[in-house]
Amino acid sequence: MEEAVRTAGLVKVYEGKETIEALKSVDLSINRGELFTLLGPNGAGKTTFLRIISTQLMPTKGEVRVLGHDVVTEADEVRKHIAVVPQDVMAYANFTPWEYSYYFSRLRGMSKHETEAASAKALKAVGLWDLRDRVCGSLSGGEKKRAIIALALASNADVLMLDEPTSGLDAVARRDVWAVLRELVEQGKTILLTTHIMEEAEILSDRLVIINKGQIVANGTLEEIKSLTKDKFRVIMENNSHEPNQLQNTNHSIRLGNKQIVYVKNESEALELVGAALKKGVKAEAAMVTLEDVFVKLVGRSEEN
Amino acid sequence: MNLKVVRDAFIIASLKSIPDLKRQPSMLILMGLISAMPLFFILVFGGKMSYGLIGAMIGAVSFIGLSAAIQDITWDRYVKIREMIVAMPVHPVSYAMGVAIAPLVFSSLGMLFFLLIALWQGFIPLFSVGWVIVSVLLCWAVLSGVGFIISTYLQKANTYTLSNLSNILGIGLLFIPPVYYPEELLGAYSWVAMIFPTSNAASLIRVYSGFLELPQEVLIVRWLILTVTLFVSIVAVALKSKWREA
Repeated sequence: MEEAVRTAGLVKVYEGKETIEALKSVDLSINRGELFTLLGPNGAGKTTFLRIISTQLMPTKGEVRVLGHDVVTEADEVRKHIAVVPQDVMAYANFTPWEYSYYFSRLRGMSKHETEAASAKALKAVGLWDLRDRVCGSLSGGEKKRAIIALALASNADVLMLDEPTSGLDAVARRDVWAVLRELVEQGKTILLTTHIMEEAEILSDRLVIINKGQIVANGTLEEIKSLTKDKFRVIMENNSHEPNQLQNTNHSIRLGNKQIVYVKNESEALELVGAALKKGVKAEAAMVTLEDVFVKLVGRSEEN
Repeated sequence: MNLKVVRDAFIIASLKSIPDLKRQPSMLILMGLISAMPLFFILVFGGKMSYGLIGAMIGAVSFIGLSAAIQDITWDRYVKIREMIVAMPVHPVSYAMGVAIAPLVFSSLGMLFFLLIALWQGFIPLFSVGWVIVSVLLCWAVLSGVGFIISTYLQKANTYTLSNLSNILGIGLLFIPPVYYPEELLGAYSWVAMIFPTSNAASLIRVYSGFLELPQEVLIVRWLILTVTLFVSIVAVALKSKWREA
C-alpha cells in the first residue's frame, strides 16, 4: 500500500531552560486513503508530531516524508498536498464561512471558478451552506469549527491533518464532522487526526497509534490495539459488596466511588462475576472492553515503566 | 520575486481588510478621524492648517501601519491562523507584504481626503503630488518595518502588552516629533525631525510643497535615512523571523 506519511527515527527536542524530549525516535507509517488517529494523554507529543509533518516545526533528528517528499528539504512540495486544522484554532469574528473557504483556497493558487466550486462543495459537506454568509461571530462553537474544517476541505489537499477538530463540539455537531471525515476517506483522502475522544477514535479510525511521553506504545487497527491487553471484558458493579475471593482471577479493577469496574479475561468470567454479584443484590453489567479501557491500561503501564 | 508571491500578498491583504471593511465601514471614518484630531486644535489655536493637513496625511497611514504590523501578526499567532498559513504553499514574504498592505486599504481614503483638501486649498502644488505620495508610502513602509521588528523580536510578549506598546509608539511617533507642527519650532534641535520617520516624511512633503527649504544634500540625507531605516528593518526581521519554528 502506498504511504502518505512515513517517519523514521523522528526525534524532537525542545531546548530551553529545561530540555524536553517531546518525541523519542518515532517510526510510523500512514497509508494513503486511511483515517489514522493519534491518541495520547496531554503532552504526549501528538501536536508536536502533527506540527512536524505539516512543516510548521523542524524535527531535531530523523526522517519525515509526506507523499514521498521530505518535510525538511521539500517543504514547499509537501505544503501543496496538505491542509491543517490546528488545535484550538479560532475563527475571525468578521469572517463568514464562505469568505474563509474562498480566501484560503485562493491562496492555494486555485482560480476564482475553482475556488467557488471547492468552497461550495466544502460548505455543503459540513452542513454550513445555508449559513455561508453569516459572520462567524454569530455562529455557535460547532459551526465555527465546521467553518474552519470546511476551509481545509476546500483546499482539495490529499492529506488532511486535524488536531482535535471536534473538541468543544456537542454530540450532534461531532457526528456531523465524523460523517464528513469518513466520506472524505471514501473519496481517497488521507486523514490524520488527533483526539481525546476515545469513541471518536474507535468509530472513525482505520488504524491508530497511542503515544505516551514521546514514544509509541501501541500501533495498529482497533482490534490489534484491543488485543494488547489480556482483559477482554469488564464488569461494572454498583454498591461494591462482593467478596475479595471473587476477584482473585481478575487482572485489574478500578474503584470509582460506589462503583467498581472489574476487568476479566473472557465472557464466561464476566458472566460468572455478574451472576455472583446479582445473587448478592449488587447491580452488575458486563460489556466488552472499550478503547478507553485499553488506552488507560497501556498509558498507565507506560507511566509505571 | 515571482508573480505568485505578489498575488498571494494581495490575497492576504484582501483577506485582512475586505471582510472587516464590509462589516465595519465606519472604520474608514474612524481611521481618518484619529489623524484629523489635531486639526481641530490647530484651527482653534490659530495654527497653520497646511502643517495640520500634511500631518494628517502622515497620521492616516503611519499609526495603522505600525499597529497592524504588530497586532495582526500577534493576533494571527494567537488564533492559530498563522499556523494554517505556514502549512500552505504561501511564501513568508507574501504574508508580510499582505499584513503590511491591508492597513493601507483602511487608511487610503483618509489620506486621499486630506490630500484633496490640501490640493484644493493650494497647500500642495499639483506637480508635487507624486513626491507627497512617495513620502507618505515610504513612511508607511518604515513604520510597518518597525512594527515587524517589534512583533518578531518580542514574540513571547503578552498579546495585550504588544497591543499597548503599538498604540503608545504609534501615538508617540505621531504627536511628539514635528509632524503636525513645523520643525523650526524646535530651534537648534530641529534636526530631531530627521530621526523619526513620521516627522522626516512630513518635512519632505513640506519641502516639495514649498513650506520648508533645505539644502540639496540635507534633502538627500533625509531620503537616505528613511530608505536605510526601511532596509535595516527588513534585514533585522529577516535575520530573526522564522516561518517554520526550530
